[in-house]
Amino acid sequence: MDMTISFTLNGRPEQVEVPPHITLLDLLRDVLGLTGTKRGCEAGECGACTVLLDGRAVNSCLVPAPQVAGREVVTVEGLAPLGKLAPLQQAFIDHGAVQCGFCTPGILMSAKDLLDHTADPSQAKIREAIAGNLCRCTGYQQIVEAIEDAARRADAAE
Amino acid sequence: MKPFDYIVARTVPEAVAALSEHAGSARILAGGTDLLIELRRHSSRPPGVVVDVSRIEALRDISRDGDEIFLGPLTTHAELARSDIIRAGAPFLCSAAGAVGSPQIRNRGTLGGNIMNAAACADTVPPLIALGAVVTLASADGERDCHLSGFFSRPYATAARREELLTQVRFTALSPGARSAFVKLGRRNALSISRLSVAAVVATDAEGIVADARIVPGAAFGVWKRVMEAEHLLIGKLPSTALFADAGRLVADTMVRETGRRWSTDYKEPVIAALVRRALERCFAVND
Repeated sequence: MDMTISFTLNGRPEQVEVPPHITLLDLLRDVLGLTGTKRGCEAGECGACTVLLDGRAVNSCLVPAPQVAGREVVTVEGLAPLGKLAPLQQAFIDHGAVQCGFCTPGILMSAKDLLDHTADPSQAKIREAIAGNLCRCTGYQQIVEAIEDAARRADAAE
Repeated sequence: MKPFDYIVARTVPEAVAALSEHAGSARILAGGTDLLIELRRHSSRPPGVVVDVSRIEALRDISRDGDEIFLGPLTTHAELARSDIIRAGAPFLCSAAGAVGSPQIRNRGTLGGNIMNAAACADTVPPLIALGAVVTLASADGERDCHLSGFFSRPYATAARREELLTQVRFTALSPGARSAFVKLGRRNALSISRLSVAAVVATDAEGIVADARIVPGAAFGVWKRVMEAEHLLIGKLPSTALFADAGRLVADTMVRETGRRWSTDYKEPVIAALVRRALERCFAVND
């Protein structure tokens, strides 16, 4: 039997009627058509499905849709709401941190969690923050440098 | 996933009533990081109903009253890892919680789920056993307490009945002078199922002689336990690497004696000895 779920998605109120056994990942991609969040392992091991739930990075493949009721979800689409890239995204481009791009949305959301909660993170802290995200293309170095740069840009902007 | 019914419990009485009504076909949902993996397995029987307990505010708190620390089972590993109360009263529990999974898993996975799922690799359990933790279970019939040391019968099995809900974990804080450490060995940096782990506590007297020692390996025995023989070896002696190495070898011998020689023993035997030594050394490390 379908449940009505009301929540905030990328800053806007959203309401859906869905069966309770689907996950947040299914809800975002298949019901709401937001395909920026990727389906990878569906076991919480690759991080491709990472989104922010109440400001914290989570694997959306492991969140039952009913659990987002009354909560705030932010996806990669929410980083550039009016089409203008966030400094974090621009830093990824500037540092060559995107190759195939499949891991990128998930890594951006893990990075956003870090930058929202930690001022001036060290490279070690950055690597810890993205430890739950696998990238098969880049070798991570450009990603870490992009996040470090984005942190600097954010600090400079304050 | 196969379909199931979904009940949101707002209070403990609501939750235990639902568990009682659907006994046998109900599964408890907190953070979901173990449950959803299990529900996706083709071989698992679909639950009739999932009881979502994640909204029960009464199960969230971390508090300290004198020397007693109380943990709500909905505390996430992330919250545990950054808790000032836990850092002051049981720092190796912060380390263990911080070693679980990945940041994404730690933001969702709960202490209660880690205990009740009772996987042999559950990282918060060795420190809790070393702390002599007690858990409270609630059901429609009332409440009861269990010592965690007697709570597990074998991997993935606890003494809890199907209609019981874990409502509290409590333990006595370590004395300010006690040192503790948790070390974990896994196949990758994060998202590592513990291949082996060790939780250790060492307290010394005014002369620096070991007065209290607790050693709990993880993923080494059928169920978790303090290795008393190794603990007694340390008591009354001055800490040293050689002593810690002896304790490690004793733990390895105990493990082999109790679990027998298996395909993994050639690996686990020297490694558990080294991990015990490392954990004890880390108790005395200046910066950690």
